[in-house]
Amino acid sequence: MSELVTFTLDGQTVSASRDETIWSVAKREGTRIPHLCHLDKPGYRPDGNCRACMVEIEGERNLAASCIRKVTDGMVVSTQTERADKARRMVFEMLAADMPERAASPDDQSAFWHWAGTWGIDGADQRLPAAGFETPLGHDLTNPAIAVNLNACIACGLCVRACREVQVNDVLGMGERGHHAVPVFDIHDPMGQSTCVTCGECVQACPTGALYEKSLMDDEGKSREINVFDREVDSVCPFCGVGCQTTVRIKDEKIVQVDGRDGPANENRLCVKGRFGFDYVHSSERLTKPLIRRDDAPKHGDIDMRFMDVSDVFREASWDEALDRAAGGLKQILDRDGGQALSGFGSAKGSNEEAYLFQKLVRQGLGSNNVDHCTRLCHASSVAALLEGVGSGAVSAPFTDALQSDCIIVIGARPTTNHPVAATYLKHAAKQGAKLMVFDPRQQDLMRHATHAVQFKPGTDVAMLNAMLHVIIDEGLYDEQYIQANVDGFDALRAKVKDFSPEAMADVCGVSADMLRDCARTYATSERSIIFWGMGISQHTHGTDNSRCLIALALTTGHIGRPGTGLHPLRGQNNVQGASDAGLIPMMFPDYQLVEDNDIRSNMEDAWGRALDPKRGLTVVEIMDAIHDDRIKGMYIMGENPAMSDPDQTHARAALAKLEHLVVQDIFLTETCWHADVVLPASAHAEKLGTYTNTNRQVQIGRPAIDPPGDARQDWELIVALANQLELAWAYPQGVADIYREMASHMPSLAGISWEMLEEHDAVTYPLDSKTGVGRDVIFDDGFPTADGRGKLVPADLLPPDEVPDEEFPLVLTTGRLLEHWHTGAMTRRASVLDDIEPEGIAAMNPREISRQGFAAGQIVEVETRRGLVKALLRSDREVADGMIFMPFAFNESPANALTNPQLDPFGKIPEFKFCAARVRSAASDRVQAAE
Amino acid sequence: MVDESNAPVLERDSAREDTRRKKSAKPKGRQVTDADLKAVAQIIDAMPRRRDMLIEALHLIQDAQGHLSAPYLAALAELFRLSQVEVYEVASFYHHFDIVKEGEATPPPTTIRVCDSLSCAMAGAEALIADLEDSHESGKVRIQRVPCIGRCAAAPAAQIGKRAVDHATLASIGSTDDVSEVVPDYETLAAYRKAGGYRMLADVLSGEITPDSAIETMSDAGLRGLGGAGFPAGRKWSIVRSHHGPRLMTINGDEGEPGTFKDRHWLESQPHRMFEGAQIAARVVGCERVYIYMRDEYPAVIEILRREIEALETSDIDVVPMEIRRGAGAYICGEESAMIESIEGKRGLPRHRPPYIAEIGLFGRPTLNHNVETLAWVPDILAHGADWFAAKGKPDHPGLRSYSVSGRVKEPGVKLAPAGTSVRELIEDYSGGMEDGHTFKAYLPGGASGGILPASLGDIPLDFGDALFKHGAFVGSHAIVVLSDQDNIKDAVVNLMKFFEHESCGQCTPCRGGTEKMVKLLSKPGALDEGAIRDLEQVMRDASICGLGQAAPNPVNHLLTHFRDEI
Repeated sequence: MSELVTFTLDGQTVSASRDETIWSVAKREGTRIPHLCHLDKPGYRPDGNCRACMVEIEGERNLAASCIRKVTDGMVVSTQTERADKARRMVFEMLAADMPERAASPDDQSAFWHWAGTWGIDGADQRLPAAGFETPLGHDLTNPAIAVNLNACIACGLCVRACREVQVNDVLGMGERGHHAVPVFDIHDPMGQSTCVTCGECVQACPTGALYEKSLMDDEGKSREINVFDREVDSVCPFCGVGCQTTVRIKDEKIVQVDGRDGPANENRLCVKGRFGFDYVHSSERLTKPLIRRDDAPKHGDIDMRFMDVSDVFREASWDEALDRAAGGLKQILDRDGGQALSGFGSAKGSNEEAYLFQKLVRQGLGSNNVDHCTRLCHASSVAALLEGVGSGAVSAPFTDALQSDCIIVIGARPTTNHPVAATYLKHAAKQGAKLMVFDPRQQDLMRHATHAVQFKPGTDVAMLNAMLHVIIDEGLYDEQYIQANVDGFDALRAKVKDFSPEAMADVCGVSADMLRDCARTYATSERSIIFWGMGISQHTHGTDNSRCLIALALTTGHIGRPGTGLHPLRGQNNVQGASDAGLIPMMFPDYQLVEDNDIRSNMEDAWGRALDPKRGLTVVEIMDAIHDDRIKGMYIMGENPAMSDPDQTHARAALAKLEHLVVQDIFLTETCWHADVVLPASAHAEKLGTYTNTNRQVQIGRPAIDPPGDARQDWELIVALANQLELAWAYPQGVADIYREMASHMPSLAGISWEMLEEHDAVTYPLDSKTGVGRDVIFDDGFPTADGRGKLVPADLLPPDEVPDEEFPLVLTTGRLLEHWHTGAMTRRASVLDDIEPEGIAAMNPREISRQGFAAGQIVEVETRRGLVKALLRSDREVADGMIFMPFAFNESPANALTNPQLDPFGKIPEFKFCAARVRSAASDRVQAAE
Repeated sequence: MVDESNAPVLERDSAREDTRRKKSAKPKGRQVTDADLKAVAQIIDAMPRRRDMLIEALHLIQDAQGHLSAPYLAALAELFRLSQVEVYEVASFYHHFDIVKEGEATPPPTTIRVCDSLSCAMAGAEALIADLEDSHESGKVRIQRVPCIGRCAAAPAAQIGKRAVDHATLASIGSTDDVSEVVPDYETLAAYRKAGGYRMLADVLSGEITPDSAIETMSDAGLRGLGGAGFPAGRKWSIVRSHHGPRLMTINGDEGEPGTFKDRHWLESQPHRMFEGAQIAARVVGCERVYIYMRDEYPAVIEILRREIEALETSDIDVVPMEIRRGAGAYICGEESAMIESIEGKRGLPRHRPPYIAEIGLFGRPTLNHNVETLAWVPDILAHGADWFAAKGKPDHPGLRSYSVSGRVKEPGVKLAPAGTSVRELIEDYSGGMEDGHTFKAYLPGGASGGILPASLGDIPLDFGDALFKHGAFVGSHAIVVLSDQDNIKDAVVNLMKFFEHESCGQCTPCRGGTEKMVKLLSKPGALDEGAIRDLEQVMRDASICGLGQAAPNPVNHLLTHFRDEI
């Protein structure tokens, strides 16, 4: 608190901070003053425009808006005078005159009607004339999730602040002027045709319902239809690694609304997926009965069940039969070929408890370390480099620390698409003056906010980063004291980067030497610098080298271990951090304890009561190869979709089809299920209890909002059932809480974090500070969790991507995601709003390249690589560089991973999704069809 | 596998598929093309791509294209690294920008603007508009009603492009091909210096006149802010000077108060009086840069300012850098904080106070803002002394004032008269009396916002302070509009309220809704709902953010108080 002032509020002497407004002090003192344009939530600045909160201040000619007026010493404020009340009432009267009556308004329970009701104003019997003109686009239903009814708009600008100042999407503004002033999208465009990303922040902020969720309204999108909720549940978002807290509202056993909650990673904010992508759980395609493959339905890799009847391939079965069959098949292989012939893929979408149980089942029950999950396809190389360099794969500081940074590097990441709420913090940091450097071969939204927008040649990360390291060392910008105290390997790094002058690297990476120097100097000399990265760094055959360079930037300059500094690989899945922590990886038990370490293993053997596999297991892509090599014959896959997510999909699907026994546990009949022997219908995120660890190391609790449909069962119960079929005699009488306790007992990182604590706080950051018991946002403040406490620099060399363009395949294909579609699309393509916004598979090229090649945007093209051929709709997108094609991998009609190169990074075993050679031609048929 | 002929295609409805295809063929929203980027970059040329230059850039495009097309706005946004809406919301705020969306018709090549504010309305603007509309094809010439363009002494006034026409008639408007501004003869730098100009600035620069003594002189002379607020100039200088630098200065040339044309008069005749005053003030207060905000309705003045700033900068006079910012058709930008927003390239929304601009103004810096005429008096006062100036006024009303007199008088115009002169004196002694056949009935003491008083109150000294205030009126920018027995007061009040309705920025409810509803309540047939009118008046006065909304109901109050027989 800053300096205190004393003033008089309604006759009482009150003390307050100089920064406080009359409104906030009054609220604290128990006096509620009406308010419309002021939203008392984090990130919303008072604007004082609606004049609903007027108060009298002694000695002032006019009334003052209490929401924006700060208190001063000796001020005498009266909030309850006749004059103030009259002004407020008139404000509501004026606004109501131009709105539909309460009963006919978009949201009859809005803040507006709540306050208007205190004067008995309901919009009927107006003495003031209505403005009576038609607002252009006044009733706009073009957005699939949000109805716009500007006849209820009071021009308070909250939606504009939501869009511009809270989410920093900059789509909404106040257009025109006077009584024509109206919120507009872009250049006064229909919402659905604008650059709006449908984050819904404006809906959450609007005090009248002028912007409102269609999910709660009548078919015409004019007024609210769902007036009461049956219940609301505090939970956490199921989609990305940001870990936004949510409030889920339910009516008639359906989720009808999701709002952001004030969690540590989102402060009420959400993105389109979290807010509007909830209805996949109610999809008619949900699995509700266990399925067993029909004896007359042979497996083959190119099966395409999109247009087939499920009953052509599977028959429904009882749970007893299905579990019996599922476990029986695994047991048969185990008994015959041993545990090495079995493997399991868990999921980073599941909870920590599920991940723990799953890896325990594979290790204890199947006797193998062949357990992995999609982290292999995401940040495995980052984690490999981090474990090697700093002894821990977790982030050193939360993304919210960007607000304390002076310089922020974002490289190989597109957070506005893939971590939208995290991106809001980066944009805020840039707006408050931090230097923001965005490195990406494609242009991206964040570059508009960047001080340094660097579009470099794909695959040349090491050249670019080594050049920056060269400058830092050559110009003496490194932190010698920090290095001496904390870091090994500096001389080797110095020797390596000696030849990487910016001048020498400029042509290699396509960035001018001046820019490289400026970036290096800015990063090194800023007081606090932080690095964020994503798949653009990790998904290369040199992914580990890329990460090593980033680690070297931080360690040489000492930009780690302090607030606003550090290394932050933006984790993709909602629980990829937690699943990895829980041991869902082939080389480590929970908490990254090496399976090949005899002491550690014998401890786990004591705990789990049987001998464990002493060798590290195979990784995701290696497992596919091992199936083709007849080394692996049975698999248990829970919530993963390797048939879509693995590189060289034809090869991967052939492997799945080749399995003697495949058990898939999921909520939909995914492309992976097509190859299954047994399919177990399981629970969606909204149906289960569990903890999830976000990218910031915040362990958060997700609570069930609804029950699983039909006979579908809880995932953890199914793992336990299978374990018990395998005679492991597991018992967790208190369910998830018991599992958490057992898991935490094997994880020093969770020391001190009890289940009860999580239930109470909803989010706890690990590790806890041993003295204060508070979660530590920033780690590595005193050395690193390595054997000697020192970090290690590992120089990286220039390696070209595995497959470079040539005459036959002249273009570079890179893959990734779209804002609306999550991973393989299993959830999001069944979420009506999300699929409405991005309904079909696309391949994006820039307009110059499109016209050079003689194509037309909107046509169907065939994209071909040495692995396969895929049809997709051609999108003209200026963000894509010359000579490049971008494809999202979420579309099963245009599966990008049929094209990608399965070559692996030697350390992280991550495939090169971000680069392969490709060619494009017009498709013979102008229609994307079932695969031939 | 699947027989293609039987396979359901992904989308059967081909119309829907087309829409979907179109949508999927590009990322969200309007896409910018390389060609438009190039075209817009050429138009704005070397202009720095800074936020505060946005309105200047919009002017260049509007001037070049005749309108602002949506694709160009999008391209401009990209060049300025702004979002599309950040450009649109600014462009759509100002009336001089014509935004044309894809598929919409562009405006005709020529626009004739006809003033329909009170003085011009009294002089027959409506008939002129009707004549013009009859005689021009709508596709070729656009007839636009506009608020006061500062030519009230020559009502009705019109502008063809940038060419102003006084006493406009169909005949005097002439060819619509001739659209350039006409720059009148004025005193150039050389002439001004020859007559002794810039000597006072030299004395300030040499230290002959110290900042403290300059401030003292202004205070003793009783020089007050003549834009309308009447704040003592000397006190303003010392307040801004007391805040830590760097400081900036703004000159408010957004003379939009209906009935006011004195600043145009000074700038079109003796611009260097203001320039020298500005340079002195900037030196005394320690301002690093001077921004001159000039209304777009005065193209000839803008041309004069351009020429004379260049002349000054290439002369041997040591000048604080000055730059011109063009308004774009928004009365509210005469409000100093709205003007500052506009200089920053934003919508002209008045700011909340506190903080005052003297402490946090343009670009967040302490800012000295002055009206044109206020500055124009500074050199004379320093040259002749505080007493000389103070003695020019009536007793207890120090100083000289430029009254803009228009309406039913024989000789309307800018009248240099002692502060505290009454309207009766202005009519009889300065303006040749009432027009023949007209009897003095009422007057506006201070433009549209100062209220409307009956002839019975025609002896009140017209100055800042109590005499007018106790009648709910003020002198403001000293714009005196004289009405006669042939004028209907209620019609006049409706004209004024329509002006405020048109010019309200829309930020706060009382002004946005109040001005609009007041017009409707006053125009409704039958008896006036005085209860509703009085309630509306009170909330506007009590709860509007800035002076526009607070003062807008003044004429309504006077109508209900002094002119009851007209309602």
